[in-house]
Amino acid sequence: MSNSVETQPQPSKFRTWVKRPYIRHVFFIWFALTVLIEFFGPVQGNIMGPPASESMKAIEDTMALLTYTAAPVAALVIAVVLYSIFGWRQAKGAGPSDESPAIRTNGPVTTIWVLVSSLLCVFLLIWGLGEMNSLAPKATSAKPMVIDVIGNQWAWNFIYPDNGNFESNELYMPKDQPVIFHVSSKDVIHSFWIVQMGVKIDANPFRTTLAHVTPTKLGKFDVRCAELCGLYHAHMQTDAFVVSPSAFNQWIANGGHA
Amino acid sequence: MSTTTLVKSPSTRGPIPNGGGIMRRLNFGTAVLLGFVFAFVGWYISTKIFGDGDGPKHGYGHDRVWIIAMTMWAIGFMTGIGAFVGPIRWLMGKDQKFEDQMYLAGKNQGVARYFKFTTDHKVVGIQYLVVTMTLFFFGGLLAMLIRTDLISKNSEIFGPQTYNAMVGLHGIIMIIATIIMVTGPFGNFIVPIMIGARDMAFPRLNALSLWLVVCVVPILLSAVFLGGIPTGWSAYEPLASQAPPGMDSYLMTIIIFAISSAVAGANIVTTVVKMRARGMTWNRTPIFVYGVVASVGLALPAFPTFMAAQVISGVDRTTGTVFYDTSAGGNDWLYTNLFWLMGHPEVYVILIPAMAAMMEYLPVFVRKPLFNFNAAVIGIAGIVGLSVMVWAHHMYMTGWAPNLNAPFMLTTELISVPTGMLFLVFIGTLWRGKVWARLPMLAVYAMLWNFIIGGLTGIYLSDVPVDVALHGSIYVTAHFHYTLMGAGLVGAMGAVMYWFPKMTGRMFDERIGGWGFWISQIGFNVTFMGMFAVGLAGEPRRVSAYSSIFARGNLISTMGAYTIFTGMLIFLAAIIHSWRSGEIAPSNPWGAKTLEWQVPTPVPLENFEVLPIITSDPYGYGVPEVRRQPEPVSVGDDR
Repeated sequence: MSNSVETQPQPSKFRTWVKRPYIRHVFFIWFALTVLIEFFGPVQGNIMGPPASESMKAIEDTMALLTYTAAPVAALVIAVVLYSIFGWRQAKGAGPSDESPAIRTNGPVTTIWVLVSSLLCVFLLIWGLGEMNSLAPKATSAKPMVIDVIGNQWAWNFIYPDNGNFESNELYMPKDQPVIFHVSSKDVIHSFWIVQMGVKIDANPFRTTLAHVTPTKLGKFDVRCAELCGLYHAHMQTDAFVVSPSAFNQWIANGGHA
Repeated sequence: MSTTTLVKSPSTRGPIPNGGGIMRRLNFGTAVLLGFVFAFVGWYISTKIFGDGDGPKHGYGHDRVWIIAMTMWAIGFMTGIGAFVGPIRWLMGKDQKFEDQMYLAGKNQGVARYFKFTTDHKVVGIQYLVVTMTLFFFGGLLAMLIRTDLISKNSEIFGPQTYNAMVGLHGIIMIIATIIMVTGPFGNFIVPIMIGARDMAFPRLNALSLWLVVCVVPILLSAVFLGGIPTGWSAYEPLASQAPPGMDSYLMTIIIFAISSAVAGANIVTTVVKMRARGMTWNRTPIFVYGVVASVGLALPAFPTFMAAQVISGVDRTTGTVFYDTSAGGNDWLYTNLFWLMGHPEVYVILIPAMAAMMEYLPVFVRKPLFNFNAAVIGIAGIVGLSVMVWAHHMYMTGWAPNLNAPFMLTTELISVPTGMLFLVFIGTLWRGKVWARLPMLAVYAMLWNFIIGGLTGIYLSDVPVDVALHGSIYVTAHFHYTLMGAGLVGAMGAVMYWFPKMTGRMFDERIGGWGFWISQIGFNVTFMGMFAVGLAGEPRRVSAYSSIFARGNLISTMGAYTIFTGMLIFLAAIIHSWRSGEIAPSNPWGAKTLEWQVPTPVPLENFEVLPIITSDPYGYGVPEVRRQPEPVSVGDDR
């Protein structure tokens, strides 16, 4: 672990270092743990039910990517901890050791560590920025449908200005139709969350915030409030239905009965 | 300290005649009494003046009344403890005599000095420890009630009103407890000895900071009787403006606590900058000192914004201003910003000293030098610097400034680099070390396990698109418990176990303590793994009821939470048992090289008979031989 001197003869420092048994052991534990976490990791898609929009799919992909990137990092720390407990341990009941090596620092290791963590960080940043960019609303040929979302203690109201300010407590959306939500609140801050579609934006009193989504899956989904908004915050939820365009028009025509 | 101090400090027992003056009659009892009298007078008069004000909606009386009563309580309490005696005497031109100073420092007063306005930093440290543990007890109890309420779907044992009140109270109690848990007890007791000083730079400010925290506790707990804090600890506006006067308890707590932390911060920073022993260059200053200074130094700019936020909130509540009322031209996002300007630095205020305490004692048990001291310092400094630039990552989803999401994602993710350097220091120090497996050492392993989980789950939240899915979910709750409890509190528990022999003079019972520690650790991981699971499945945080798909995860979490509480009670029992009847500790049971272990136990009033001179850093462990730090040398130098 001492500083290498350029003029030293073969074999190279690195090769002798790699040949040490504890290096191999730690490497093996690290590798095994990495594989373990990669395959049985906590985030493997469909976390909030099958994704019902492209953006939720993208979010799940990003989470999987983050898990793949994080796994080796976590595995390294845990591998060293495990080897410290089981590999370098002293005999049980032993007192303070006077045989530990007095390693003050290690230039190359520190450099590599900082470099790798910085690169990981830059990679995550670039990925995140790319993701944000791809999730931003795009100018498409289809004119997005506007839905006004009003939060109030403790219910959601959905108003369809394109359909004569039709009002409902349940969210109906036609499949594959881009939607823009104009979200606001009548009292306190709520947070409008369509769980399976990766849509979340605060509903602020007397302000309008925007969110957009294109539902790609027929079915019934969950709308919840994600910001503590008082007494019945837990019950401030409703259903979102994604239906075929004809069924949507039918629903409007029937005055909110499907 | 003057040279006369040394000459005149007799070791004879018995009170010093003529010292103290009125301070002899003031203690915790008079403080509580006067506090209640003042509070009652304030309440009575203001009720006469304001009556029910504009007609309270909640049946708890007018906000003005309670704010005045609480202010009066604080003034009465601080008067009764003797906090104003010094300044008043000084105003009257009577400075303290030597005898007064000795009396204030608690000389020869036995246990009574723990209930007085005592300036000795060691007394203040012990007082902080007891206050911290009391707060943790209340906060933990509330956590148990919260988890009980969530034991099954729609159980709502206490009803949503009580549930929301408990969530807010649990949050703010734990935040205050974790903020003071390391810098309070150990920053006060250990740091001055560690740097070779006889006391803090401003001993009376030290006592002031402690008694302000004590004064806050009843104000905070009064929320229970005033309708609670049903807003979560973040107390977002305009929800907070709907809340009953429990909210006044909250904002008065924050205002007074901010004063306390400012006083403590200025004191500790000054002490460390000005009073380190001769030869203790910054390179030889122990890493724990860096951690404590970073923490209180970070709190110095952070808390005033929080205090300002609450002052404005109080003005809005009592005088009808509309700073936060968007409909009337105010701005509720002002509160959100002010809150998180404090809120994110604050998590590092909690975390850094706990990590630094573990970095301090890790070399002692591994018997190796701290790996790359410079990386540790840079890591801490980097976290401190970046932490003031990340606040709006809590606001990605508010719609406040969508264009700022990308820059805040940048600063947030950058924090992983200095945090990674701290991990490097830990695993570098563990590397090839023959570990002396005592309980504080094992706590480091537990901390690393928890903190790697807490840290990496934070990366998910820093990513804006992923935060769309996870913001406001229980996942967030699990994440910050993994960092603040899994790393922060475990660090503080390790610090208690490590410095216990020095602070109490007795060894910590590692058998009982070990049971408590490991039971609580298992419970902790079960609880918050369960919360990660339901959070990832889409359960919002702070809900009193949830749909059936989350039932299993919540049941697991509740069982885990009971396990934590059981373990914590056992740990508490170990502390009490060891404190009362533990084995008598030698002055340096760990064979550590920092200064606090070189002074006798119990530590004499002025710590060092002769101030030490430092010739190396305190990490000279292991082979090959490095220059060892000599014992404190007697050279008769006394500034």
